[in-house]
Amino acid sequence: MRRPDWAPDEIDIERPSVARMYDYYLGGSHNFAADRAAAQAMVAAVPEAPLMAQANRAFLRRAVHFLADAGVRQFLDIGSGIPTVGNVHEIVQQVAPDSRVVYVDTDPVAVAHSQEILAGNEQTTVLQEDLRHPDRILGHPELRRLLNLNEPTAVLIVAVLHFVPDDDRPAELLGTLRDALAPGSWLVLSQASDEGRPETERSDAEAVYRRTGSPLWFRDRSELTTLFDGFELVEPGVVWVPQWRPETPESTVNAEASVFLGGVGRIGD
Amino acid sequence: MTSSATAAQPSGANSGIAAFTQEWANALTGTSYLPMTQAQLRQLLNRLARQLAAALLAEPFDLRAGQRVGTELVAAHIASAEALGRTVEVVQLRLVRDLGLVAEDVTDRLARLLAAVTTGYTRAMRDRTLDEQESIRRAAMAQRTKAERALRASEARFRHQATHDALTDLPNRNLFTERLTAALETPQRDTDRIGLCFLDLDQFKRVNDQHGHQAGDRVLTEVANRLRQALTGHLVARLGGDAFVILIERTGGTRDVIAAAEAALAAVHEPAAVAGHEVTVQTSIGIVERQVAGASANELMRAADCTLHWAKAAGGGRWTLYDAERDRRELTRQALTAAIPAGLDRGEFYLDYQPLASLRDGRLLGVEALVRWRHPELGVLRPDRFIGLAEETGLIVPLGRWVLAEACRAAGSWSVTGGTPFVSVNLAVRQVHRPGLVQEVRNILRHTGLPPERLQLEITESAMMSPAEEPVRALRRLADLGVRIAIDDFGTGYSNLAYLRDLPVTELKVAGEFVAGLRAQEPQADERIVASLVSLAHALDLTVTAEGVETAGQAERLRAIGCDAGQGWHFGRPEPADRILARLG
Repeated sequence: MRRPDWAPDEIDIERPSVARMYDYYLGGSHNFAADRAAAQAMVAAVPEAPLMAQANRAFLRRAVHFLADAGVRQFLDIGSGIPTVGNVHEIVQQVAPDSRVVYVDTDPVAVAHSQEILAGNEQTTVLQEDLRHPDRILGHPELRRLLNLNEPTAVLIVAVLHFVPDDDRPAELLGTLRDALAPGSWLVLSQASDEGRPETERSDAEAVYRRTGSPLWFRDRSELTTLFDGFELVEPGVVWVPQWRPETPESTVNAEASVFLGGVGRIGD
Repeated sequence: MTSSATAAQPSGANSGIAAFTQEWANALTGTSYLPMTQAQLRQLLNRLARQLAAALLAEPFDLRAGQRVGTELVAAHIASAEALGRTVEVVQLRLVRDLGLVAEDVTDRLARLLAAVTTGYTRAMRDRTLDEQESIRRAAMAQRTKAERALRASEARFRHQATHDALTDLPNRNLFTERLTAALETPQRDTDRIGLCFLDLDQFKRVNDQHGHQAGDRVLTEVANRLRQALTGHLVARLGGDAFVILIERTGGTRDVIAAAEAALAAVHEPAAVAGHEVTVQTSIGIVERQVAGASANELMRAADCTLHWAKAAGGGRWTLYDAERDRRELTRQALTAAIPAGLDRGEFYLDYQPLASLRDGRLLGVEALVRWRHPELGVLRPDRFIGLAEETGLIVPLGRWVLAEACRAAGSWSVTGGTPFVSVNLAVRQVHRPGLVQEVRNILRHTGLPPERLQLEITESAMMSPAEEPVRALRRLADLGVRIAIDDFGTGYSNLAYLRDLPVTELKVAGEFVAGLRAQEPQADERIVASLVSLAHALDLTVTAEGVETAGQAERLRAIGCDAGQGWHFGRPEPADRILARLG
């Protein structure tokens, strides 16, 4: 049965949250025993999981730097999770203090935590919404207050799409977002891929995430590239995240072990 | 402890510190997420390396520098067990060598400095972990509080929805019942009284029909608002449709509730502007007011509802006060009505017969069948107790059919030397108007073997009042069969002479009230009326039977007038047929 819209979310810290598991991979302590148990099970299944998360986080940092350098001043981060180290607003407001950032997450605890961290920062806000309802995100008064969608905006959907199965029509969701964006806007995507990984590892990882209520949905390079429909991919296209505009040549060693594919696209003028 | 180290700053230190910093940066890569560029990392580590180098050589030796470095590393998010391990390793192996640090007790100092770094680092890590744990727990708690508040709000909303009417937002039947039950079950004092006003808009359907349902809804909303305003302090609820109720608690007596009803009437009767029209609605109100003690919600609601119907029946636009005596009477009537079908099934009805005697020679011409009900609780009931109810509800049709069949069956078995009497049976208006009457009579005659001329059907003038032709045709066909047709109670209705011309009537029965006036020797108005009725009937070739003949004097007068037959106590009370027949021998 579907919960009525006015029914409040349940808070169950006994159930692992993907946002807090991700915080654990990144070395944070914003997590509970159930999150750590699930994350440890994931590390047992895929020992490089923390490195993968770190590589993905570093990709986000480089991509945001790139966008700030390109002059983008509006950011919509969907699936922002626990606002652990290296937030979008921390990165971007260093470069351009007038930048505005809207965070979106479905996890009520992550949202409450974000509210605490963002308190007093007038140029940021956080909404509790799901990527599956782009209309609600776009129409949200808080977003409308902070972002002018007639100006170029960067939409970040980083390490989130692997929780959106094809049944939820991710291409349509992204299309709705794209249609609301001005020319010169950007899309940053990254997501887990099972390319080149052993089948046992994949099934073990899936088993862990089934416990979270956010089962995994892997996509390969061509599938992720398709989701950039309507955007022009910038160099180097959709790649293993360490290969995306690396700072040093060494950091691309063993890039395919990062599991995450990512890319950045732009709506032409 | 004193330190005798002599420090020297060798040349080439800059290239040395660059090499050390790079090595340190490499060692830290991958230990945890570092929210900075490689250049930023090297810059940070370069600064910290200089601080460590300076501390190693400083005089006096100050361990706090090592702790500060550990703290700074954690603050820069270089915060993992692996990062500490690798830092200790790189500093131990490379710092002195790469920077060419020379001091007498440098090995000793390095060990103590690394211990300080580790202490500062671990302490900062512990603080950071505790801070983060606290912050995530606070977030969870904040969210839980918010969720609970939302839950309470949604429960309140749900409760409101469950207890209020969606259209008018007035309390609904559920809330009203709840409040009424509470008032009855937990009165403040034993002597508390309570009142209810049941309201129902008069002819509300017409508003819907004329102006549409939306307009109807607006009228209901308007009425609800006015009642709410006019009756502040009392619970006004919408029971559904156009029915409302007002609960008046702790009344001082009937007067208080009547005052509330008056206020409600006045509020509703104010014209309302709906869809560009001025619509005036009226309401009827049933009032019940009584002591709380011994009252039940169901009984109060029923009483108020029933009183509302009295107000409606009295024309609407008014209040009516509950009358327990009237209610009891109606309940008995209703119960009696409801029991008629079962009474028929169980054979509780039977017939008595009353003689119709010739005024010329006293001979028994016929008997009128009169139905009785041997009620299991109320005893024998005469027709005036139940025929009216049966006529209202249509139960007269099966009852009348039974009477006709039973009378014919009984009469068919009679045999009297010197002329067997006919049997006269009353037909109700509904029976006369029912299609199939002729066939029914025919069937009964066939089954019972009663010759048609020994059956007389008595109809009232009102049975002939309708313009329908079907009853007239039916009576004609019955008359053609040979059945006698009598007009009952002639002279008390419209006494329309036209149908006497058109109908195949054989007899007039003159109502008993004219006969009652035939007392004295001197002729009165009643006698003149009866005399002219008789002469009229004879002129039309009809016979006349006088009803209600109670005395020999009356019988004598009637005979003198020329009336053909009489019926009444003087000739015999209603009784079982066999007794009448036994007397005839």
